[in-house]
Amino acid sequence: MSIILVGVNHKTAPVEIRERLAFNDEACADGLRRLVDGEVVREGLIVSTCNRVEILTATTAEQLESSAGRLAQFLDTAGQLPAGFLSSYLYSHTDEEAVRHLFRVASSLDSMVVGEPQVLGQVRRAYSVAVEAGTAGRVLNRLVHHTFRVAKRVRNETGIAANAVSISYMAVELGKKIFDSLKGCTVLLIGAGEMAELSARHLVNAGASRVMIVNRTEETARQIADEFGATTVPFERLDQALSEADVVICSTGAPSYVLTETQARRALARKRNRPTCMIDISVPRNIDPAVGKVPNVFLFDIDDLESVITSNIREREREAERAELIVQSEVMQFQQSLRLMDIGPTLGAMKEKFQEVARAEMARQRKRLGVLTQEQETAIEALLLSTVNKISHPILNQMRQFYESTESDALPTDKDIFKLEE
Amino acid sequence: MRSLLLAVLAAYLIAAIHSILAFINKRRSVQRVAEWSTITGFILHTAALGADWVIDGHYPLFSLREALSFLAWALVPVYAAVLYRYRAQAVGAFTMPLISVLTFISLLITPGPTDAPASFSATRLFPIHTTLVIFAYAAFFIVFMASVMYLLQERELKLKTFGAIFHRLPALTTINEIATNAAVVGLTLLTLGIATGMFWSWNRYGRIWHNDPKEIFAVLTWLLYLVLIVYRSSASWRGRRAAWLGVVGFALVLCTLFGTRYLGGYHVFG
Repeated sequence: MSIILVGVNHKTAPVEIRERLAFNDEACADGLRRLVDGEVVREGLIVSTCNRVEILTATTAEQLESSAGRLAQFLDTAGQLPAGFLSSYLYSHTDEEAVRHLFRVASSLDSMVVGEPQVLGQVRRAYSVAVEAGTAGRVLNRLVHHTFRVAKRVRNETGIAANAVSISYMAVELGKKIFDSLKGCTVLLIGAGEMAELSARHLVNAGASRVMIVNRTEETARQIADEFGATTVPFERLDQALSEADVVICSTGAPSYVLTETQARRALARKRNRPTCMIDISVPRNIDPAVGKVPNVFLFDIDDLESVITSNIREREREAERAELIVQSEVMQFQQSLRLMDIGPTLGAMKEKFQEVARAEMARQRKRLGVLTQEQETAIEALLLSTVNKISHPILNQMRQFYESTESDALPTDKDIFKLEE
Repeated sequence: MRSLLLAVLAAYLIAAIHSILAFINKRRSVQRVAEWSTITGFILHTAALGADWVIDGHYPLFSLREALSFLAWALVPVYAAVLYRYRAQAVGAFTMPLISVLTFISLLITPGPTDAPASFSATRLFPIHTTLVIFAYAAFFIVFMASVMYLLQERELKLKTFGAIFHRLPALTTINEIATNAAVVGLTLLTLGIATGMFWSWNRYGRIWHNDPKEIFAVLTWLLYLVLIVYRSSASWRGRRAAWLGVVGFALVLCTLFGTRYLGGYHVFG
């Protein structure tokens, strides 16, 4: 069996192309049923996300060429594009390369943001659609399950997803570098922007126990407060709230500083210099940069957050190199198991054939043996079959081992098979 | 004993190298090698100290050579406690190299005549005194190391450089807690160590104070860590300033441990 993968992704095709090709679940199932004919294309799976559309199929080695053509054609039709239009955007991988590609995609090594967690879910979904459409067979089942295992390994054994790469998650990330755990932390939102709200939501998920919201218009504050189970604090009592907060997120539309150095110093004195993380995501800035000089205050503005993200992405890329090694070794393992799968039925058929020969010989010679009791007849048959089995077993076994262990074309010699040297 | 101590040194070196590697590439398997070789080294080291005790006939903590070896040995369980309690693997990258260096230096020093200690080991109190003080030093080293880590991490956060250190060091409050707890443990041990020393001296010489440099430094050290703890827990001295105090305190510890050897005085040993 051979595996082919044909598709486009964010690196090879602009969004105008990708959006034309995108499949929803229903179109996926329909497309798969049309594509998989049991002749040229034996099994199929379509992964369609905003960054990629890929068709993964299994076919026989002889029909590899025609199958690849079929897939390109299929995509042209699906996107209602003239034939051959996609050729400059498409990539196509076969066998080992296709397996590697799928492993990398599911492990989020091929993603726009390396290490993002969504893509594995999307592959999972694509697989369940294929299973429902009945187009996932022996090869793809095995491949996809192996893929899940690889993605899990990469996630567990490397830090590829360890550091946040989104602004809204940065508050959690930085908070953890100061407080270790955010359990029991108090969060203060100054202003009720969408980003601040999202950040607060992440903080609460990470264990923050209390959220306070200060906003010039009470109404907006109350709306958000209800969603979080937060308390609203009138603007005049900002100083009080400040001395209770561990994490402050500021995003008002104010044209000038809302929080000054004197305020920060007073608040810190009142909270006995417990460290405080302040995040200012507003432009123009709402927290006086001088606040960052106050001991035990850690102030980050929007540019600082961007630079943490850059640093985190670099860190992820370093981890990605290790992930590639895992993928490499898993690809080899999978290829081996696939070869084994190919040889399995063949070996079974050979065994049958040998036994059949024995039975035919028995039938041919039966007359010469004269009258036999039932017992004797069974004994003769058993004798023949066990002789055949005993002779063929080491051969079949060696063949199996040979496929498991090597890729070379050299066949084992008879000496190896029957261990005549011993 | 030398060959056994060489094996100890080898184990510690392997642990040190793997701790540093684990610090750099954050691989769990490397960290595991570091931990196992630390355990191996510690077991061998314990055996070596025990053998020393039996062969030399005195508690293996008297000469400078023995003091260094004993300090290295004492640092291992202290480090293990921090690792177990805080999961702060970065600690190993700082501690294991020091443990290796201490073991190495103690190997370089050729053992002198061993008849001097006979009179000292007559009392039970003397070994208790030295052991307590050595463990106090080990705890103060943890304070020092945590303080350095704090200053590094605080600097990363304040300057927003977010380099490799930022990703690898534990959170500020964790480091702070390590320093504070180690200081409390260290001060307790030092208090007991000084008290037993005084008691022993009283029994032997009829006085508790000899005015020698080591005693003066020890009292200064004691005072400094007391200040550190009081300020940390009660008042507004948190963060950087407390961390600097932890660094300065360790300089005093070093003076107490080594400096007084060259200033002469009544504490002639270790």
